[in-house]
Amino acid sequence: MGLIGSYNLRSMIVRKGTAAMTAGGIAMVVAVFVMTMAIAQGFRGALVASGSNDNAILLRKGATSETVSGVLRSQLPLIEAMPHVARTADGQPLASPELVVIISLPRKSDGNPANVPVRGVGPRAYQVRNTLKMVEGRQFAPGSREINVGRQAVNRFGGLTMGSELKFGAATWTVVGIFTADDASFESEVWGDVDLMQPAFQRNGYQSVTVKLADPSAFESFESAVVADPRLDLKPSRERDYYEGQSSTTGTLIRIFATFVTSILSIGAVFGAMNTMYAAVAYRTREIGTLRALGFSRLRIISAFLAESVALALVGGVIGCILALPVNGLSTGAMNMTSFSELAFKFRVTPGLLAGGMIFSAFMGALGGLLPALRAARIPVARALREI
Amino acid sequence: MKFVNLVLKSVRRNKRRTTLTVLSVALAVFLFSALRAVLDGFDAVSAASSATRVVTVRSTSMIFSMPTSHEQTIRSTPGVEDVTWANWFGGIYKDPKNFFGQFAVDPVSYLRMYPEILLSEEDKKAFIEDRTGCIVGDGLAKKYGFKLGDKITIQPGIPVYGSQDYEFTIRGIYRAGSSAVDNQSMMFHWKYADERSTPKAQVGWYVTRVSDPDRAAKIALAIDQQFSNSAYETKTDTEQAFSAQFASMLGNLNLLLGSVALAVVLTTLFVAGNTMAMSVRERTTEIAVMRTLGFRAATIFSLVVGEGFIVAIGGGVIGALLARAIVNAESLGLAGGFIPMFGVNNRNVLVGLGLSAFIGVAASLIPATMASRLKIVDALRRVA
Repeated sequence: MGLIGSYNLRSMIVRKGTAAMTAGGIAMVVAVFVMTMAIAQGFRGALVASGSNDNAILLRKGATSETVSGVLRSQLPLIEAMPHVARTADGQPLASPELVVIISLPRKSDGNPANVPVRGVGPRAYQVRNTLKMVEGRQFAPGSREINVGRQAVNRFGGLTMGSELKFGAATWTVVGIFTADDASFESEVWGDVDLMQPAFQRNGYQSVTVKLADPSAFESFESAVVADPRLDLKPSRERDYYEGQSSTTGTLIRIFATFVTSILSIGAVFGAMNTMYAAVAYRTREIGTLRALGFSRLRIISAFLAESVALALVGGVIGCILALPVNGLSTGAMNMTSFSELAFKFRVTPGLLAGGMIFSAFMGALGGLLPALRAARIPVARALREI
Repeated sequence: MKFVNLVLKSVRRNKRRTTLTVLSVALAVFLFSALRAVLDGFDAVSAASSATRVVTVRSTSMIFSMPTSHEQTIRSTPGVEDVTWANWFGGIYKDPKNFFGQFAVDPVSYLRMYPEILLSEEDKKAFIEDRTGCIVGDGLAKKYGFKLGDKITIQPGIPVYGSQDYEFTIRGIYRAGSSAVDNQSMMFHWKYADERSTPKAQVGWYVTRVSDPDRAAKIALAIDQQFSNSAYETKTDTEQAFSAQFASMLGNLNLLLGSVALAVVLTTLFVAGNTMAMSVRERTTEIAVMRTLGFRAATIFSLVVGEGFIVAIGGGVIGALLARAIVNAESLGLAGGFIPMFGVNNRNVLVGLGLSAFIGVAASLIPATMASRLKIVDALRRVA
């Protein structure tokens, strides 16, 4: 492999213009692949990060999302009394009854109204969701018309900065704190006291209850206890599973789009690589003949040309990944079809995604190089040597 | 013109390479036209919206409802010709994955408001007379195989409408007269849903026809002012503004699809440029001979550009026609719900062809310059 490897590498450098163009084509495909997949990753990541494995969310039986669920006020104490629910040091149950409604706020970027979720939460919500951290101000005081706002929401929508007053649900609310939540979907939300949100939005009862489990591994026994209680027509799910499910509609749509675009685009790039490799083989017919005459086997010739094509594609892959890197962390928004509200999230270029891009580029190189390599191996030695 | 044969000859010189290049340009144009068609689908909705219709929703958010008493107030606003109302039902047909719009409407006034809902007179009458009747768009009917007279069961998805299943009889299959109407929706009697709703007498949005499109904004403001400081404040917008806002909720489509389209063009430029460079390099000696024979540098230049142009246009025609044949609303069935109907139209085809012409010329500029600046002596001395 030593001689033949360096021979192919050096030939690539000799024909640097052509090599650069082929790699450039593959780089664009890999860049598009990584960028579109980064959107899907980011969207899913924002929702999955919302769910913790230690928590369980209870929805009405048959409800697929909070919007269409309902939990009666009388059911909350029954849930709180269950032994599976974790407690604070002074014995208070770690359960948060919640209600999500959507209000319309102007988007900062274009001034158009966007659907922003307002979540009414229980007084111990910040202990149930312990990834939330206040970065400015303080938590809202239960019983007052104060609200906390996620950092993404502050950046994306107008009128949510510290101290500003917001009118919705026939009342005025004051922003007293801004929180982060490890990029979770909560960062696109507005949080306030659920007991004040209910009358403001003319709702009776809650939509869901999220509890912290005393023992996360005992989820199954919690589930059977809830199902066994005839007063609760509710179904618990692990919070992480629930949020993962919430991402599927929009997430799948983005993924289908990304796959459709990159697969068509990659065929074009493979054709380009094929052209280059066919030309490479044609130029070097005589050299290939010499190599064969020296005793290099057909298999060696095939693998050498395949390796050249893959190496070329990998260079493209690296360039493509580098081109796609700057979008990492860029924040954008898209409608979550299941909650009908806008979810802000960041493009996520993960190491796994970059590895996927590299494998994809190697695959394109192999595909583009295969036929030309076979052709190189099939050249009859005598004729090849005769060629000028 | 006399050089056309020469150019065609060079195109045919390496058939495999030409085919591969033509195909990669074809794929790019295919993709580009499809992307344009999606964007056009969104634009068409707002372009087809009527200038005389305004939509009134609750100012907090359109997910909240208003009382039916708003109708009288809106109707008596000066400049208002007609009012109708609708609710989003959000029910589930068999499986939550079968997502399509279901609207509870007031049949008589709704069909009057939307003449774009094309329905035969008998069907219209049958729908209006049957309290549990419904009409479905032809796109939806095709997707689920609905026929006139079919009974369908929808499970309510929003607690307001109770928990009991709703039975409907299909009384009509409508066609969409313009992009303002979606042919993947279902409409039924508002009264049927209202009977089982708690609270009752709630309306999701009002649609109002105004007499003078130039005064639409003023009338919209007048409607909102009548409800300001009430428990149910409203926000009224022209239908066009309303659908544009709706599209913008899906995310920044223009930017996303635009950057993908740019990448498509760049990839193809690389591939086509590469081919042209290779083909020129192969013919170095030939070109030198032509120059010796007296062909001018400018002629050589245009010969190479012409070759690139022909190859790219060939790909463009294939790609654009393929897109026209494959990407249309009937064959895809992707539309429905929040994604409007889309399909590649003649304008997309033209843009695709223009793009391929651009790719052909741009990709061959550098190789053509190389060819025309060739030093004859060096080129002749070189052994390929």
